[in-house]
Amino acid sequence: MIQIAAIAWKDLRGTARNLPALAMMLLAPLALAALLGFAFGGGESFSISPIKVVVVNEDEGPLTVAGAALPNAGNSVAGVLEGSALQDLLDVSRSESPARARSLVDEGTRAVAVIIPPAFSRSVYGAASNDQATVELYQDPTEGIGASIVESVVDQTLLTFNGASAAAAAATALAGADGTAHEQAAQAAAARYVEDGGAEALLGVAQRPPQLPAGKETRDVGVTAVILAGMMVFFLFFGASNVARTILDEDQAGTLSRLFTTPTPRRTILGGKFVSVFVTVAAQAVILLVAGRLIFGIRWGSPGAVAALTVAAAVVASSLALLIISLVRTPGQAGAIGSGVYLILALVGGNFVGTVATTGIYATLQRLTPNGWLLRAWDTTMRGGSVGDIALSLLVTFAFALVFFIVAIWRFRKRFA
Amino acid sequence: MKSAVDGEGAVSIVDVENLRKQFDPPNGVVAVDGVSFAIEKGEVFSLLGPNGAGKSTTISMLSCLLRPTGGDALIDGHSVLDQPQSVKEAIGVVPQDIALYPDMSARENLVFWGKMYGLTGTDLRRRVDEVLELVSLVERQKDRVEKYSGGMKRRVNIGVALLHRPKVLFLDEPTVGIDPQSRRSILDGILALRDQGMTILYTTHYMAEAQELSDRVGIIDHGKMIALGTHEELVRIVGEEAHVRLRVDHDLLGMVDHWSAVPGVSRAAIDEEEAVLYVHDANAVLPQLFETSAAAATRITEVSVTEPNLEMVFLHLTGRALRE
Repeated sequence: MIQIAAIAWKDLRGTARNLPALAMMLLAPLALAALLGFAFGGGESFSISPIKVVVVNEDEGPLTVAGAALPNAGNSVAGVLEGSALQDLLDVSRSESPARARSLVDEGTRAVAVIIPPAFSRSVYGAASNDQATVELYQDPTEGIGASIVESVVDQTLLTFNGASAAAAAATALAGADGTAHEQAAQAAAARYVEDGGAEALLGVAQRPPQLPAGKETRDVGVTAVILAGMMVFFLFFGASNVARTILDEDQAGTLSRLFTTPTPRRTILGGKFVSVFVTVAAQAVILLVAGRLIFGIRWGSPGAVAALTVAAAVVASSLALLIISLVRTPGQAGAIGSGVYLILALVGGNFVGTVATTGIYATLQRLTPNGWLLRAWDTTMRGGSVGDIALSLLVTFAFALVFFIVAIWRFRKRFA
Repeated sequence: MKSAVDGEGAVSIVDVENLRKQFDPPNGVVAVDGVSFAIEKGEVFSLLGPNGAGKSTTISMLSCLLRPTGGDALIDGHSVLDQPQSVKEAIGVVPQDIALYPDMSARENLVFWGKMYGLTGTDLRRRVDEVLELVSLVERQKDRVEKYSGGMKRRVNIGVALLHRPKVLFLDEPTVGIDPQSRRSILDGILALRDQGMTILYTTHYMAEAQELSDRVGIIDHGKMIALGTHEELVRIVGEEAHVRLRVDHDLLGMVDHWSAVPGVSRAAIDEEEAVLYVHDANAVLPQLFETSAAAATRITEVSVTEPNLEMVFLHLTGRALRE
C-alpha cells in the first residue's frame, strides 16, 4: 500500500508540475464550452442537423363563417411546414394520431411533433372563441434551436391568420348585432382578438420528458452545460492518457526496469500507476464541475448521481488510457494513436453534438462508446435524474472499464513478463 | 536457504549455472549461451567483454528482469526462476543508464526508492541520511537531480541501490560516458564498498577497471564465458612475458640479432619498423638492451613495455581487441 501511494504521489506531483498538460486538461474544455456556448446563444440549446418533424392534422375544417367558405387552417399550417421553401431545414413526416407522434418524439425518432387539433379552423376563424384550440408542439428538449425554428415557422403561419381571424370575429359580431352598431361592434371584436393575444394564443408548446421515470420533473439544460459535459468527458480521456503515458516515459528512462528490480511486485507498480491516473482524472472532473458551476452557473444534478458519474468517467478513462499505453511502445505512438482513438470515440459518442439529440443509426453508434453512455447519463443527471435513472449508463460504463482494464493487464503481463 | 560451497569451503553467494537467454526462440538471437560462474561472499567479480557480449543480459537475468531460457542462478540461495521476490530483496542493482527521476531532488529520489525496497519511517530516514553521506551529496540533497553533473547523478544512481543494504551489488557499466574525475570517484567508492565486505558483480568493457577492482574476472564474448579466474591466472593464458617494443635510428635487423642474444630475452621479432622482444622481467632486461645498442653504435629512439594484461588475454582468445 505504501508503494502504491508512493508511486501515485510521485506521478501526481509530476502532473501538477506539467503546466501544458494542466492547461489542456482544465482550461481547454472550459474555453471551448465558453466559446461554443457563446456562439450558439448562451443558454439556448442547438442542433445542426435537419429538424425531424412529425405533423398530425386533426383539423375538421373547412367551415363557413358569416356565410363565407374558409380554407382548412390545419392544412395551411401543415402545408407551410412541408413546403419546398423549408425542405432543407425541416424533415417533415405525417402521423395519424397525436399519441403516435408523441411516442416518436419520446423514442428520439422525431425531434418535434406538431399536433393540430380538430377545432383548429373554428378557433382560428373565431367560430369557437370560447373553446380555444391550440397547436401543440411536442418537442425533444435537447432540440432547443430546432424546436424554436419549428415554433417560429408555425407562429409566423398562425400570424397570417390574424387578419382572417379579426375579420371573422368582426363578421360574427356584425351578424348578431343591431344594424346601427355594425362599425363599433366590428372594431370591438377586432380589438378583443388582438388584446387576447391573437395567433400566439393558438400555439402551445410541450416538451417531452427526458429518460426519467414518469412523474419526475425535469429541468431545461443550457447549451453551455451540454457542451461542457461533452468537452469534460472528451478531455478526461486526454487527461488520463497524459498520466498513463508516464509508464512509457519511465520505460524509456529506465526507471520502470529499475522498479522491477526492487522487491515491489509488478502488480503493485502498475496499481500505483492506475491510482495516479484515476486520481488525476477524478480531480480534473471535480475541478471542471466546480468551474462549470461557478463560471457558467451549470446545475449538474444530484450530488449522488454526479459523484457516481464522476467516478465512472474517471474509471473508464483510466482503463482506456492504460489499454492504449499497453498496446504501444513509445510516448510518441501513445500521443498519435491515443489522440486518434479519443477523437473517433468523441465523434461517434457525441461529445461535439450533444448526444441525446441524435436519432437512428447515430444513436445506436453512440451506444457503442463509453462516451455515448456517459453523455446520456450526464444529460439525464443535469435534467434532474437520480443515480437510479442513470444506473444502466453507469453499468455499461463500468463494463467498458472492466474490459479495457482486463485487456490492459493482460497486455502488460505479456509485455513485462 | 541454500548456499553453494566450493571445494575449499568458501561460501558462494552467487551461483550461476549454465545460464542461457535466447530472445524470440527458437530462431532468435542467443544473447547468453550457457554461462556459469560463482561469486563468493565479499568478492568483487567482474564480467569483462566488449559491447554486445552478453554482460547486461546476464545482469538482467540475475536481477529477475529477464527470465532465462535455460539454466538457473542462485542468489543468496534463492533461485532467480522460482524465488524472484527473495532474490530482489538480496540484490541492489545499478543500471547502466541513470535511472532516477530528474524532477525530484536526490533526497526525494532516495526516499522514493527506499520505499520501493520496503523501508519506512525512521529506518528509511536514517538510511537516506547515511547514503547521502556515502555519496557525498548532503549539501546538495535538496537540489533537483536534473541540475546535477553527470558524476553526481552517477553517485545517486549507485546510492539508490545501497539503500536496503543488499547482500550483493550488481553494477552494470557504471562509468560509461563520464569524465575521468567522476570515474575515479566512482571507482574509489566501489573500492570502499569492497573494503567493507560488499559482494559486487561488476560489468565493464574497460580492462583497467576490471583489473583494478576485481578479485576475479570472467571474460565474456558472444554470450559465452571464454575465460575465468584471477588476473594472474588469466594472464598466464598468454604467458607471463612482457612485450618490449624498440625503435632505433638504423640497422634494425642487426640490433634484433644482438638483442635476441641478451639473457632474459626469450624471443625477438620485427613488427613493421619495431623490434618486439618477449621478456620475463622487463626491468632487468632493459639496461642490457641499452648497453647492447650503445656497443653497436645504434641509438634507441623509442621504447615501450607492455606487461601481460587482460586486453592481451582477450586478443589472444578472440583475435579481436576489447574495444572493437
